[in-house]
Amino acid sequence: MIGCGPMQSAALCRLMLRSASALVPGKDRAEWLAEWQAELWQVLRSQREFRNEAADDGASLPSPIAFCLGAFQDAWWLRQNNPRVAAPPLLRHGSPAMCLLSLAGWAAAALMLALYLPAAREAIVPPPYPAAGNLVLISPGGASTSPMPEIRLADYRSWQTNTRALFTHLAYYQPSMKRVHIAPHRAAELSIVRASADLFDMLKIPSFALRTQDAQPMQGLLLSESAWREYFDGDPAIAGRVVEVAGHLVRIAGVLPQDRWRLPGRADAWMVADEPQMDSLSPSSKGFVLAAIRPSGFPGGASGRHWMTVYRANGESEKFECVSLAEQTRQPFSIYLFTLFIAFLALPATTPLPLGEYPARAERLGWGVRIRRWLFLAAKLTLILPLVYFASIDLAYGNIASGLHPIGPVSSQYLQLASSFFGLLFAFRWALRDQRGRCPVCLRLLTNPARVGEASRNFLAWNGTELICAGGHGLLHIPEIPTSWFSTQRWLYLDPSWSSLFSDTYIAPAGVL
Amino acid sequence: MAVEAKLSHTAAMILQAIHTGQVYGFSVMERTGLPSGTVYPAMRRMERDGLILSKWENQSIADAEQRPPRKYYRLTRAGKAMLEALYKRYPLLEKLIPSAEVENA
Repeated sequence: MIGCGPMQSAALCRLMLRSASALVPGKDRAEWLAEWQAELWQVLRSQREFRNEAADDGASLPSPIAFCLGAFQDAWWLRQNNPRVAAPPLLRHGSPAMCLLSLAGWAAAALMLALYLPAAREAIVPPPYPAAGNLVLISPGGASTSPMPEIRLADYRSWQTNTRALFTHLAYYQPSMKRVHIAPHRAAELSIVRASADLFDMLKIPSFALRTQDAQPMQGLLLSESAWREYFDGDPAIAGRVVEVAGHLVRIAGVLPQDRWRLPGRADAWMVADEPQMDSLSPSSKGFVLAAIRPSGFPGGASGRHWMTVYRANGESEKFECVSLAEQTRQPFSIYLFTLFIAFLALPATTPLPLGEYPARAERLGWGVRIRRWLFLAAKLTLILPLVYFASIDLAYGNIASGLHPIGPVSSQYLQLASSFFGLLFAFRWALRDQRGRCPVCLRLLTNPARVGEASRNFLAWNGTELICAGGHGLLHIPEIPTSWFSTQRWLYLDPSWSSLFSDTYIAPAGVL
Repeated sequence: MAVEAKLSHTAAMILQAIHTGQVYGFSVMERTGLPSGTVYPAMRRMERDGLILSKWENQSIADAEQRPPRKYYRLTRAGKAMLEALYKRYPLLEKLIPSAEVENA
């Protein structure tokens, strides 16, 4: 350990050995610990001698801490290979509990990754705006997912007066690349969003338009968290610093947390454009328009997707789509539900749905055992749903597929569509195949595949694979070539008289499971 | 019946190191250059398979040298037979870690 003295190092090593000894079976623990402590004594002494001799011949000794790390491997090996502390039957390889735990673990890992990756988190966590259902982004029909500005400033101006029956507030913003002088002799190109003052009121972001700390008021600049970290090294005293943006001095008002901006368009910083600045923009310049809808404005309700028809002076009409911010967040889940439906339809084309022939033996198998089989299949399918959903979100929106380089929203949606569909299809296929390869009594994976029969003798006989349940509950026969008398896999129960042949201690009585 | 040499080269090195004389875990590490996480589990496996035996040294010897008692390892007859078979599989094994007799010669 860096900066650790010999005394502390020895104490830490002893602590590590004690911790590792917890893994060793109780009967062997004292002897195991005594051996490792004796060995550690040798290591520490060798270290001292090595240091005293000041060896400069390039030789090296293992550090005591690296040496003690090996104790964990040794202890774990002892634990794994001790029959007295073997894994409990439910957690053995191939057991149903292990299967469900693995699926749950993968689903949890996919969820954690989605929450860790900022872009993926935005796709699943609702927007932080209090009235996200009432706030809509207006875009030309069919371009609601476009990351490019599509609304002309002239349209925004006319809507301010013409759409009062539909919207209570309208806000306009326009991202553009500007050269920002961060420090003397240091400049960077940042995407600065110039927005009307309404935008920040609608998003409930505190006003920062003007900073009047000095005698001379100065326009405020709000930095994004990523820009603050990248260009200002995460300086905690950033508020109040003056920087030059495209030739104008502005004062940094603060830093906006990463998740607070969910609108389209890249934004490294924001500035409020006052009326003269808005007037100076060309009427044909394009930006984004955010609107707060009037509850009575659209008959469809206050959330979701609405259409607005605008009649031009030349008599032509143009349709605009108004998609609420809440609806935008629901979009990945809507895509997922669609792919789920398609995957269910496509599943029979990839694998047979029947689980095989199981002879009815009501006198031997309790209802609990039969129901348990179906519950296990249902649990697998249930765990597959969140696993594939979060994994597809990670892949499509977390930009994992593109090496963490942002891809456009349309590409993300197509990627989610493909990954979710194929993920669900193959996961369901696996669930059915896995179910067919398990013992119907103890639900453990069948083992010891053996070739049975000859391919040339198929008349009233069969050839294929025979698998056996390690618990001695029965045999599974899978025909290689389906015939009219042996068309699908068939389960053969073994009665309890066979159990003496099975050394596996996990022979569960059929009525108990 | 001939002994089948199924041990890996790493395990063969450890077996050869144990063959060199009275050894304990750290001395095997020193002779082979292998990390502790490899040496100790390998020795446990060999002991389980009857290739080596372990024995604690007398407390009086350890007291005389003012150190904790060591657990020494030595080859069993099966271990020696295995090592002989391993020499055919890994001819350079003896040269990598010479035994005590060779060193003293």
